Amino acid sequence: MTEETSQDVVQGREIQIHDPSLRDGHHAVRHNLGADQLRAYAQAANAAGIPVVEVGHGNGLGASSLQVGRARLTDDEMLTVVREALTESKLGVFLLPGWATIDDIKNAIARGVDLIRIGVHCTEGDLAERHLGYLRDEGVDAHGVLLMSHMASPEKLAEECARLVGFGATGVGILDSSGHFLPSDVTERIAAMRAAVDVPVMFHGHNNLGMAVANSIAAAEAGADILDACARGFGAGAGNTQLEVLVPVLERLGYRTGIDLYRLLDAADLAERELMPAPPTIDSLSIVSGLAGVFSGFKNRVLDISAREGVDPRDVFFELGRRQAVAGQEDLIVDVALALRGARAEESHDGQ
Amino acid sequence: MNAAGRLSAAVLGAGLIGIDLTTKIMRSDYLDLRLVAGRDAANSGLWQAARLGLPVAAGGITSLVEVDDPFDVVFDATVASAHAEHAEKLSVLGTMLIDLTPSRLGQMIIPTVNRADICSHRDVSMVSCGGQASVPILHAIAKAHEIDYIEVVTTAATLSVGRGTRLNLDEYVGTTKEAVRYFTGVNDVKAILNISPARPPATFRVAMTLIGQDLTLDSVLPLVTGVASELRSFVGGFDVKACTVNDDKAFISVEVTSSGDRIPKYAGNLDIINATAIHVAECYAADRLSMAGLKMS
Repeated sequence: MTEETSQDVVQGREIQIHDPSLRDGHHAVRHNLGADQLRAYAQAANAAGIPVVEVGHGNGLGASSLQVGRARLTDDEMLTVVREALTESKLGVFLLPGWATIDDIKNAIARGVDLIRIGVHCTEGDLAERHLGYLRDEGVDAHGVLLMSHMASPEKLAEECARLVGFGATGVGILDSSGHFLPSDVTERIAAMRAAVDVPVMFHGHNNLGMAVANSIAAAEAGADILDACARGFGAGAGNTQLEVLVPVLERLGYRTGIDLYRLLDAADLAERELMPAPPTIDSLSIVSGLAGVFSGFKNRVLDISAREGVDPRDVFFELGRRQAVAGQEDLIVDVALALRGARAEESHDGQ
Repeated sequence: MNAAGRLSAAVLGAGLIGIDLTTKIMRSDYLDLRLVAGRDAANSGLWQAARLGLPVAAGGITSLVEVDDPFDVVFDATVASAHAEHAEKLSVLGTMLIDLTPSRLGQMIIPTVNRADICSHRDVSMVSCGGQASVPILHAIAKAHEIDYIEVVTTAATLSVGRGTRLNLDEYVGTTKEAVRYFTGVNDVKAILNISPARPPATFRVAMTLIGQDLTLDSVLPLVTGVASELRSFVGGFDVKACTVNDDKAFISVEVTSSGDRIPKYAGNLDIINATAIHVAECYAADRLSMAGLKMS
């Protein structure tokens, strides 16, 4: 970019942008992207110089299921198409232990994946021990990332990150899976993690409370090396950090991303045109899910089941928050909706 | 067999599962618990067993082999990778080996489905906690309907999932999936495991979804309630939380609370596999005793 940068102390520091549009964006379209869509966006991201492009079902390898939605394409189809499209950018995948197995990892490696992220709930780092150990032995870049990170203190997150590095992680990070954080929350957490490990530290924001870009900047200022962002914020619920906003904001602050602005904007335009019926917005239910601290990806299932059972989806989200549902526990939605309907029937009975 | 007509039994493995098993076996009318064996004399599980007045040994499998009178029944509560050696050493002694690890080596037993297979095998597998909670229901539904796909999602509280299980997530998923396929005859099966960090801890839970065009609530609900009441005869805390049928999909969620003993109420995952293992041992004992009775008459 030609614009003069600020005189900030951060001048020149490099931030690596990791783009999960083709993975997290899947939550917004019920995991229904086709091969032409994946190819078109991957080519555009590659042309813009985005360092890492992640692809897959929204919940990662092996996650296509009734629990979280079935994907239109198989993992193999997705990996093949995007691998072919990426000549410069690295190919990334995401997976959750308990959902994907080491067989899925072996298959992804055989298909040319460069970076594998192992996601675990923020207090359960040791669920990734075996997978990270396997990848260390195979010599594959493997990052350990902590989901639903608002549910743990900065100290706990730092401790889990140190454990992940001990298991073999070559990078660590946190996901604000519910879009619950405010910038000061992020500053505290990233600073604690930065102090605990000497591998790259990542932050992944969601925009439920309109804070995704601000939170990402807070993360960079607290020492994060990798920031996740998606074209047009393509992601679950209110969407993720908006890629084509974040990159120029970082550059204005003096960070270097190595990304070409015009080609980035072209990629974002293509994403809006080809990948999504409409860009994510902060609708009322997304605000509720952010406040309740529930994974944004629950939104479509909560809407479907609430409509079927005749209950208020906002009540469902707050009750899921009270039960501390974590990513992947979509099966709880039915129980919660039935319980709310039962409670309401009882109330109206008592009133008679 | 001892004078009181009970089978002699030993527990191999003194972890959380082994010690809860010990407590439960001591109440059995069919089993006479004569030894709890671990591999480390300093293990707190062995101390607990000793305090209950039981003989303990720290020689692992060797403690069970080097005895004058071989055990009738041995519960293997160690780890999957050790089971093959245990089976090999005990098979020559005629011992009935009940495997609580997810090794997948012996004949899988789901008592409400294939109780009859118990007596014709000497190494029987208890599959997995999720398998014991789901297969009885899935089997009953699959027998009465045309099922195209089955999905099983298990949720266990983080405090009830020990290091062994954390390192064996892939084995858990593989074993559960294989059991569902084997017992239902449905090939397209997915198994998923979630670990919940919620406080207070979440009760052990299994959610099942089946796809089949002839599924109706009228046909599914009686099968589910029937199997649940059968299971409650030996897993008291088994409870159906939801049963819905929409379009061509049936959704059933169940929870298991522990009956107590050495484990907290939410840890139904430990309770169901232990209660099932003892039930299997008692079925075996009852069959052995009735055969002995016939011979004597």
